[in-house]
Amino acid sequence: MPVEYEESQLDDLTAADRPWQTVVWNDPVNLMSYVTFVFQQYFGFSRRKAEKLMLEVHHDGRSIVSSGSREEMERDVQAMHEYGLWATLERADD
Amino acid sequence: MTEGFQPRRRGGAVATFSGFEADLLRSLASQLIELLRDEAAVPTTEVDPFEALLDFSGPTNEPDDPVLARLFPSAYRDDEEAAGEFRRYTETQLRSGKAATAGALIDTLEEAGLPPQLDEDGLTIDVELDPGQAIAWMKTITDMRLALATRLGIEEGDEELWEQLPDEDPRTQVHDIYDWLAYLQETLVRSMGG
Repeated sequence: MPVEYEESQLDDLTAADRPWQTVVWNDPVNLMSYVTFVFQQYFGFSRRKAEKLMLEVHHDGRSIVSSGSREEMERDVQAMHEYGLWATLERADD
Repeated sequence: MTEGFQPRRRGGAVATFSGFEADLLRSLASQLIELLRDEAAVPTTEVDPFEALLDFSGPTNEPDDPVLARLFPSAYRDDEEAAGEFRRYTETQLRSGKAATAGALIDTLEEAGLPPQLDEDGLTIDVELDPGQAIAWMKTITDMRLALATRLGIEEGDEELWEQLPDEDPRTQVHDIYDWLAYLQETLVRSMGG
């Protein structure tokens, strides 16, 4: 294993590792109980955590529900769209 | 009128619908399927017609129909190119998935005794859903509600406006259906422990 990285390689590495996040947005249609259920069902969150995130969506207009690689977040966003939730992904430092 | 869903002993949910209610659900599900298949899910940005014909992947532009735009929102808010790529790889799959889920709802109703043409009074339909079917029903009821809400122009905190609509306004009846679906959804989620 090389001890030193070229600076440019380091940049690439941090850029590639930079986490992305899935954001669920508030909408006037989906029921609070349903949104909570989806968070529990899909992400495996406890009811308490799912409710906390749902309330964030409800009161703040958005909530970060997961983070990870870009590919993983695209999968989560697609799953949220399957459930009819309005979700997007973005870089964690946005 | 149906009392909505109750928990099923072995997991899942059960409900009894009048023939009229079951027929209404079938009709909403069919309309959803029709809409999902309506706008051809083909790439619209391809310039070369030969390449376009050979390209079986999905569309890259947001759908024109506002209901479809809500069902398939942009995954990236500030990056049109990334949003287009995402759409290209997911929208076709999402569309066929949603259509298949809505189709399964119709099958369940018909297997439970809903005739192709409803002309019998006093018919009741007992629906029994296993946990997987219950979640599929939730997804389709959500899509129906999103579709109706988009057509009606429902916004956050506008409940009073809808309550004040006169009975003869055609939107009143549609809004009643929208509310009824919310009731069904609520009882279904609760039956599943939510």
